[in-house]
Amino acid sequence: MSVRNRIAFYYTIATAFLIAIVFAIIYIMVERIVYKQFDQEIKKEIAEILSDSNVSTHDFKGFASLQNVDIDGGNSDNDNDSDSDNDSKKKKMINVDTEFIQLVNSTGQVINKSTSLSWCVLAFNPNQSGTSFFNSNFGGTMVRQAQVPLVNKKGITEGYLIVALPLKNAMIVLRDLEDIFFFSFPVIILTLFILTRLIAGKSIRPIEKVIATAEKITQTNLEHRIPLPDHHDELYRLSATMNGLFDRMQDAFQREKQFTANASHELKTPLAVVKGTLEVLVRKPREREHYETRIQFCLKELNRMAKLIDQLLMLARHESNKINPQIETVRLSPYIERVIERMQLSANAKNISIAVVHTENARIAVDPGMLDMIFENILSNAIKYSPAGSTIAVDINRNADAIVCSISDQGIGIPEEKLHAIFERFYRVDESRNTDTGGFGLGLSIVKKLADLQHIKVSVTSETNRGTTFSLTFPAGETNG
Amino acid sequence: MRLLIIEDEPGIAGFLKDGLEEEYFAIDLAYDGKTGLDMALINEYDLLIVDWMIPAISGIEVCRQVRKAGSTVPIIFLTAKDTIEDVVFGLDAGANDYIKKPFEFEELLARIRVQLRNKERSDDSLTAGSLSINPVTHQVFCGSTEITLTPKEFALLEYLVRNKDRVCTRSRIIEHVWDIHFDSDTSVIDVYITFLRRKLEAAECGNIIQTIRGVGYIVREPVIS
Repeated sequence: MSVRNRIAFYYTIATAFLIAIVFAIIYIMVERIVYKQFDQEIKKEIAEILSDSNVSTHDFKGFASLQNVDIDGGNSDNDNDSDSDNDSKKKKMINVDTEFIQLVNSTGQVINKSTSLSWCVLAFNPNQSGTSFFNSNFGGTMVRQAQVPLVNKKGITEGYLIVALPLKNAMIVLRDLEDIFFFSFPVIILTLFILTRLIAGKSIRPIEKVIATAEKITQTNLEHRIPLPDHHDELYRLSATMNGLFDRMQDAFQREKQFTANASHELKTPLAVVKGTLEVLVRKPREREHYETRIQFCLKELNRMAKLIDQLLMLARHESNKINPQIETVRLSPYIERVIERMQLSANAKNISIAVVHTENARIAVDPGMLDMIFENILSNAIKYSPAGSTIAVDINRNADAIVCSISDQGIGIPEEKLHAIFERFYRVDESRNTDTGGFGLGLSIVKKLADLQHIKVSVTSETNRGTTFSLTFPAGETNG
Repeated sequence: MRLLIIEDEPGIAGFLKDGLEEEYFAIDLAYDGKTGLDMALINEYDLLIVDWMIPAISGIEVCRQVRKAGSTVPIIFLTAKDTIEDVVFGLDAGANDYIKKPFEFEELLARIRVQLRNKERSDDSLTAGSLSINPVTHQVFCGSTEITLTPKEFALLEYLVRNKDRVCTRSRIIEHVWDIHFDSDTSVIDVYITFLRRKLEAAECGNIIQTIRGVGYIVREPVIS
């Protein structure tokens, strides 16, 4: 079922339910009002009958006292009564609709009844103890009737006075109302369904547009954007959200493409160098020395390539998050010292000293192997970009609730506008991709990746030609140890 | 033939220079786009080999600038970029050919020869009278007799025959046969011309190299009489 039909369908069902309830309430109310009116009429009648015959419902003195009551309506024959005040009763009751009056004893036996009833008998409900109103049917005529118990002084019900009024007109009204409801209901529902479907169709048309545009957008064609509607409604938000998604996708694809291009460049270049050098080498016979230098050169290139492949594989593994960090609680300072020791050789080559300025006896929860790699990468960068004879400062500090380890060099620094990109894969501040410094631009993205895995925050501040400071903020582990 | 290689990767530049010099080309190297572009605009090269991703000015931009300066020198792009869009983009920027890294050195040589081929002729052989030069095998024949030449002698003769019936000035000969590091003492040309003439005469090819006094040299198709 399409959205449009579904909306119309649900809406119609809900409305049908509501309308049915409303109709039912209206019907019940009308019925109530009608019956109330009848009941009032009947009450008046009863009161009249009783007052005329001076009978009280609580002080019934036997049926004899009622014998003289003219229980016939004004339009009846008056054949069974010879009461003196007959005429006055007649006058009184002349305006009242034909009513039916019946007297029964406590067992329901008819004592007396009005002639309007002719041979029919009004229904008697012996289970009703008090005055009750109900509908009944006699001789094909719907009537509203009241049954008044006649109680003697001792509290014993000796009989009942039953008064009934025909419901004929009222029933016609109610029947008509019923008919109107019955026929109008399906018409209303059908009309509603058609209208809702139309409206729903109209209101989801912009969505069709969104779908059409979204279908046009493929991986190779990510430039398309959904035109934003004029009104700032849900559709506007949907379109804006999707456009945002496409932006991010395009960005991601672009970065992926850039990464692939960089990776292929970085891999193919040493390959091309080795291949070309060897090809030229074997074209002609040469001296031993010539062979040696060229082969040494090729080996150097191959080593470089192997290193790159290592780094790429590491990134790929971490990217797919297949490696879970083996978190242990370790003391930070011995770790740093060990890494520094390892880096000492390359630092000495450039006459750079690595000094631990301030240390804190802190324990941190990290993966030691990954931490090693992070320190190594940051330190080797520091050495690489520092002038000979400078100092690299390592500083461990305790913050309010974290351990911060900062590594500062006095190197060339990173221009501010390039700081944001340094963690990107293959990004190198020196755009010439100078191979003298030996990097691929992967070190810091590995650092970032590993740090993220261990919830270590990496931040960097730098000043051109003054130096760079990398800060690692470790999640609060146990203090003291 | 004098070639300019603009390539920032010293490894690639190194073996290209090695290999191409063995093929009697005079090679100049530039490690970045700016230097390369300056050299390409100042000197006269027979062919440029340009890497796409180079510092300072990209290979594409070098190519555009060279074309903008009105030069028709053949340009071969050399790059690791390998998508079709990249190829098309490179060729549209004015490159004559495109070779992807890693490439076969022999293929590069063949492509260089295609670009150096005289437009009117489709084959690679160069002739003047009974003299014929094969630039692929570096052989020189006078009729059916092979003449053995040193690389410089070969390069000089090839340049003169390629520019047959046109005067080659001494400075142009220096520019095209010797590389940029050569100290511009043009008297070396006369020495090599003397060697060449001697070898050609020995093979009975006649004196096809003529001296234009004070200007340079010319190879003329002998008039059959």
